[in-house]
Amino acid sequence: MPNKIVTVVKREYMTRVKSKGFIVSLFLMPVLMSGMVLLSSFLTIIEGKTEKIRKIAIVDETGEIFTQMKADIAGHSAFQHKGKLVYQLEEESVTTQDTRTALRERLNTKTLYAYLEIPKDVFENGEVRFYARTATNFAVQNALRSIISNIVRDKRFAESGYPRAEVSRLMRSVRFNTYAVKSSKAKDGEAAIESPLETGARIGLGYIFVFVLYMFVLIYGNSIMRSVLEEKTTRIVEVIISSIKPHQLLLGKLAGVCAVCLTMFAIWVVFGVLLVMNMETLLGIFGVDNLPIQLSQVIGTVKASSTEVLTYFFIYFIIGFFIYSTLYAVVGAICSSEEEAQQTAAPLTILIIVPFVLMFQLFRIPDSTLSILLSHVPFFSPILMFMRINVLMPPLWEVLLNIVVMCATVLLVTLISAKIYRVGILMYGKRPTLRQLWQWTRY
Amino acid sequence: MNLLQLENVYKRFGDFTAVSDISFSIEKGSVYGLLGPNGAGKTTTLRMIMDIIAPDAGSITFSDDRQARNFLDQIGYLPEERGLYRKMKVQDVILFIAELKGLSKQQALTEIEIWLEKMHLSEWANKRIDELSKGMAQKIQFITTVIHKPELIILDEPFSGLDPINMTLLKDLMLELRDNGSTIIFSTHVMEQVEKLCDRICLIHQGKVLLEDELRAVKRAFGKNSVEIEYVGGLEPMRDSAYIQQINDFGQYAEVKLKSPDDYRFVLQELVEKGVDVTRFELMEPTLHEIFVQSVEAHGGTVQNAE
Repeated sequence: MPNKIVTVVKREYMTRVKSKGFIVSLFLMPVLMSGMVLLSSFLTIIEGKTEKIRKIAIVDETGEIFTQMKADIAGHSAFQHKGKLVYQLEEESVTTQDTRTALRERLNTKTLYAYLEIPKDVFENGEVRFYARTATNFAVQNALRSIISNIVRDKRFAESGYPRAEVSRLMRSVRFNTYAVKSSKAKDGEAAIESPLETGARIGLGYIFVFVLYMFVLIYGNSIMRSVLEEKTTRIVEVIISSIKPHQLLLGKLAGVCAVCLTMFAIWVVFGVLLVMNMETLLGIFGVDNLPIQLSQVIGTVKASSTEVLTYFFIYFIIGFFIYSTLYAVVGAICSSEEEAQQTAAPLTILIIVPFVLMFQLFRIPDSTLSILLSHVPFFSPILMFMRINVLMPPLWEVLLNIVVMCATVLLVTLISAKIYRVGILMYGKRPTLRQLWQWTRY
Repeated sequence: MNLLQLENVYKRFGDFTAVSDISFSIEKGSVYGLLGPNGAGKTTTLRMIMDIIAPDAGSITFSDDRQARNFLDQIGYLPEERGLYRKMKVQDVILFIAELKGLSKQQALTEIEIWLEKMHLSEWANKRIDELSKGMAQKIQFITTVIHKPELIILDEPFSGLDPINMTLLKDLMLELRDNGSTIIFSTHVMEQVEKLCDRICLIHQGKVLLEDELRAVKRAFGKNSVEIEYVGGLEPMRDSAYIQQINDFGQYAEVKLKSPDDYRFVLQELVEKGVDVTRFELMEPTLHEIFVQSVEAHGGTVQNAE
């Protein structure tokens, strides 16, 4: 009998690995992932920089600030695109109701990008007001604020008689950097510490794995659902379960698909490791001889933490995969058409999306009571506990306890699912109610 | 020797009794027909034989005291509605099911070649199922049912949805398999299909066995109470015969239902006396459908879904 399960595993595995979809995602996923990272950094760089010339009117009631401002923005990067100044200032001397109306009219007709009111008492305590159709261009707003502040400060210094340069030296802030102290010990016995860049690299790596886990559970869960449905609607399932027990078929199916996922991960990990290990040689080929210190820090972090991340990824992927996939298989088994199955699977899909969304919230405070509680909710653990491990390693006993509880949950879910599955694949027509499902578990 | 024996088998689904006290046995090397309208409990019975679902009570045993789970590899099954993995290649699908039935890969490949040759489908071995016509897919499915040379072949409504060519093919195949020692059990709700195939039949209705016997014995028991008359001219003089219950006149021949099976002599006599020009006079066996309707009525029921 066991070698018949192998027959099922083999079929599930081979049909998927040989499919175009597998080959495509094998290459496309890394491309998309790195593409996303590149795109987001690219977007940050070009944010606030456009080639169109934008006019900002300055209503300078003091009459002393505009000239300096005009000079200052010319040298500020927030107002430039590819080395060219793309913002233009024009002066208005007083604020009357008429100039306001005129300026707002120009905002609406888009001949003016924004206007700024600098009141007479700006040197004491006056409020500078920035008006624009949308107030989301934070880079420009921040730059304007610091430029005006500097001009105002210079003026105050000049009036007070204190030497500007000396005061600046005295008022200079201390240099401030953040380091994460890790529970593991460094070689000299001190607790290991981590620079912000290293923390970023480590969490970034973890985040990639959480994302992969989420994607794969969703994609392959759906694939299993369709596969169960196909076997049911073509009645081939009846032929199969005349040879092996339904739970063996289910097990073989899950194992086969899981092996498909692990194959893809294995290929990626091997290529990833090769890439990271040979990064210096590789960059050498492209003419980069001396690695920037930041990059070598990032590579070092990735090298150091990847074993741990991979281990936990493996554990939580298997757990997440089996919990969700058995449920997707049940959905496939109790439905009779693709449309019906898609609808029925919606709550299940939400169950996967919720922890993924929560992850971003809990990211900031990984050790809050809420974070800890949520990470122990069985259906959330694969994503949230894994996220906590990546961001701030919980005590080991907590992780081990979670893994044990999750294994028990997987077992329970699988047992109940197998019973529903066994009945569902032979039932056609109307989808069963929850009460009927409960009865099925006791047939 | 009996290959299969069912004794007092019951199956309930919630409040619905699907099968109630069914007992029958199937002799090795015979063709057994399980007859009844849709919803009578035929598929449930077949599934219990295959150990897909467990009976609530009663026992199902195979020859040499084997239990179903030790016998599964010896069963070939063709489910009622059909399909195969649409995206898989013909050869891979057959191989998959053959391996599930316990054949080694080598054995399976040899058998696949022989069967595809036999069905004239050799050149389709590496085509995907969804490239095949419906008739070809049906043939592939016959192959998956019998490739492991099963002792028992279970066919659930085997003739439904088949084109006439495949229907004949399947009928010939069934008889050939029986002659090679396989035992065949099949279900159908179209009674006429079994008349020429079955050695023994079981009529079930609402989960209960109405009748279970050799086909010949069943027919004998119900007697020949109708005659078919071919004639030239008219049959008018026979309209008010005292022996005839009903005449179904087709113009050149008529089916005549008698009031009692022994009355055929008097009808023949009357035909001669009244000068009807009879060219053929044949005693007809009752059709299974008639037998079925009578059996149901005898048990105090009505046939709603007879087709």
